[in-house]
Amino acid sequence: MTVGALIFARNNEQIDYVAMAQWSARNIERHLGIPTHIVSADTSLPNNTRHFSDVGNVTWHNLNRMDAYTLSPWDRTLVLDADYVVASDQLKVILEADQDFLAHRWAYDITGCNNFQGLNYFGDNSMPMWWATVMMFRRSKHAELIFKCMKMIRDNWSHYRALYKNSTITYRNDHALSIALGIVNGHTLDHAGIPWELASLTPEHMLTQVDQDRYRVDFINTENRPRWIELQQDFHAMGKQQLGEIVANNS
Amino acid sequence: MDTENLIAHARTRFDHAAARRTLKEKYQAKFIFAHAGGMWQAGPELLTTLKCCTGTVVILDLYETPVQVNTEEFYEQVLQRWQEQLNAWLVEYEALNKNR
Repeated sequence: MTVGALIFARNNEQIDYVAMAQWSARNIERHLGIPTHIVSADTSLPNNTRHFSDVGNVTWHNLNRMDAYTLSPWDRTLVLDADYVVASDQLKVILEADQDFLAHRWAYDITGCNNFQGLNYFGDNSMPMWWATVMMFRRSKHAELIFKCMKMIRDNWSHYRALYKNSTITYRNDHALSIALGIVNGHTLDHAGIPWELASLTPEHMLTQVDQDRYRVDFINTENRPRWIELQQDFHAMGKQQLGEIVANNS
Repeated sequence: MDTENLIAHARTRFDHAAARRTLKEKYQAKFIFAHAGGMWQAGPELLTTLKCCTGTVVILDLYETPVQVNTEEFYEQVLQRWQEQLNAWLVEYEALNKNR
């Protein structure tokens, strides 16, 4: 059985996603021992604008994630965001799972400062959100349908946005994935997920690298006091600028 | 009542509880592993289940899929994973207490 990782990356005005993906590919090779292909996004697709609190409005080239199924040359594929930091071999576990498709159902703030309740659901009907940050799929009818369904949702985004009463105008892979999983699973909300939560770091916190797989997060806690924690685990760095600086220092 | 002292103490406890929760999230993930085509969480519940049985049995994994396992061999693996990760957790927990 062949296994590999795909990272979708295309630079915008503020963020060097390709450098981020190359750095991540080295981490993946080191910890998971699998090859990585970096997919530079399709320039023919229309772009979104998305706001990030650390870098402001940027062009959001992130519309072709659903092509992962056709682009992957492997039997089993890990699809990762370029800003997902692989600092351990934790993801090996899901590469061994007897499942066609896995993603995170829940994300949480590593510092405990932010409640992710609002981010773990979307739309006025509070639909459960599945995070497209880390996806694992194996070649199967089920996985193929999920990706085809995501494509259908992207191509008809205004319809699905209205149907799910989603106030977010910007297309998001997370929302498309969540809707697709619902449709493919017969609207049962019954889908196997990655059996742990997605550790996330929001942009207002300061991320620095201590050494190769150790990171320090400085933050102001809910009582307005400066605190810090050290991370030696995988996490989703939502602050692209700080991660970009770490990547630049490692290049 | 020295309310200033009480507030300071409560704040410290809050921070400490948040750090402990973060550590717990990290190790909850590390307890999970694959075996015999199933996905498992090492811990007392699984160990007790395995201790109740002998030879080859069928038990439900995290995805509620029935999986056939050899109890003796699997018990050793679960115990090893559980204690390895708990030891690492203890080291980090003690460092946390020291820092604060």
